[in-house]
Amino acid sequence: MMRRSPTWPIHLALMAVCFVMLVPFYWVLKTSVSGENIFTFPPSIIPRNPHLFYYVDVWYAIPFARYFLNSVIVSVITIAANVVFNAMAGYALTREFRGKGFILILFLSCMMVPFQATIIPAYLITGQLGLLNSYVGLALPQFSTIICIFVFKASFDAIPGSLIDAAKVDGLPEWRIVWTIMLPLAKSAMATNVILSFIWSWNNFLWPLIMTRTPEMQTLPLGLARFLSYQEDTTGALYAFCIMVLAPGILLFLLAQKEFIQGLTSGATKG
Amino acid sequence: MEAYSAERPSGWRKWLLNRFVLVPAAILAVAAAWNLYASTHDDGLVIGQVLDAQGKPVEGADVTLWVFSFTTFAESRSVRTGADGSFRITGNPSHHIQLSAVKPGVGSSQRIPIRLFFRSQNTTLAAPLVLSGKA
Repeated sequence: MMRRSPTWPIHLALMAVCFVMLVPFYWVLKTSVSGENIFTFPPSIIPRNPHLFYYVDVWYAIPFARYFLNSVIVSVITIAANVVFNAMAGYALTREFRGKGFILILFLSCMMVPFQATIIPAYLITGQLGLLNSYVGLALPQFSTIICIFVFKASFDAIPGSLIDAAKVDGLPEWRIVWTIMLPLAKSAMATNVILSFIWSWNNFLWPLIMTRTPEMQTLPLGLARFLSYQEDTTGALYAFCIMVLAPGILLFLLAQKEFIQGLTSGATKG
Repeated sequence: MEAYSAERPSGWRKWLLNRFVLVPAAILAVAAAWNLYASTHDDGLVIGQVLDAQGKPVEGADVTLWVFSFTTFAESRSVRTGADGSFRITGNPSHHIQLSAVKPGVGSSQRIPIRLFFRSQNTTLAAPLVLSGKA
């Protein structure tokens, strides 16, 4: 009988890693309720006289609700487009067709091109479409992301091909195969798509900075820059702003973390 | 089969009773309750009392409301205390204010910072304004 090795060293190491990764988050949270400058000496682990008024300051210093609404609308559009387009592309890549290898290489090589390199053509195309300074225009460059296409592909690859063949025998068109058979079986890939596209859209700074023309269309990252330009002594309020921007992403991750982890690891043990 | 179907939520329960609906619904409920509270407590009332160094109420002291404006505090309005030293300021427009009191011959108080959770929140000072020194 094999003796099981103790698990406590692994847990100890994991706790140490968790501590290192969570300390910055704790520090941001602590500063947002105490306003203590990072150079305060001696530094305090427990916040002194904590209060929530820095959050109130942020709420009234800029039109936070408007920026929040803009970010939510853009993120929802981005998520919807990502799920639809990435699922279609991922499904296509599970099928055999001429030039599939070339397209896969093209996708992989496109991943290496940074967005900053394509931002001028993206701007010109968006302008030609008449979508500058609009919600759809804000979401347009992130309508589909290659990483998420591969997440869907990996998930779809794990579904038996006989299921698709049976659906075809029953006369289902391709789009219904994706919608009614593949997607319900790839919930974890969908959750991964939702979380990743949400975070990318939520944190996007450069594209909204370039293509928005009115303050009413700005999103939260731009609001943060505007807030910094308004006030000089913003230690507590700045950190409160960061928490307010981070909170929806963290909440979404906590809600869907099980599916998110499954989505990222689906296909990893295949074969 | 019956036991299986009894365990599995079906229909509207499946779509409504899950964490992706319940958590946002709870957040919206809290936000709605907070907004309701704010809308019924935003008359801009600031109530307090002015005492002298011996702890006696000061009648006829001028209490000034300072409102945070961008980077500095600007004088907004003044009221005079009553016989019991109490004052009542109406129409405070801000969430970040300061109060000061002065009465010639009795003294002046320091500016007391007051933070509120929303604009125009009704508030009663926890500690009185104390006049000291000669104004």
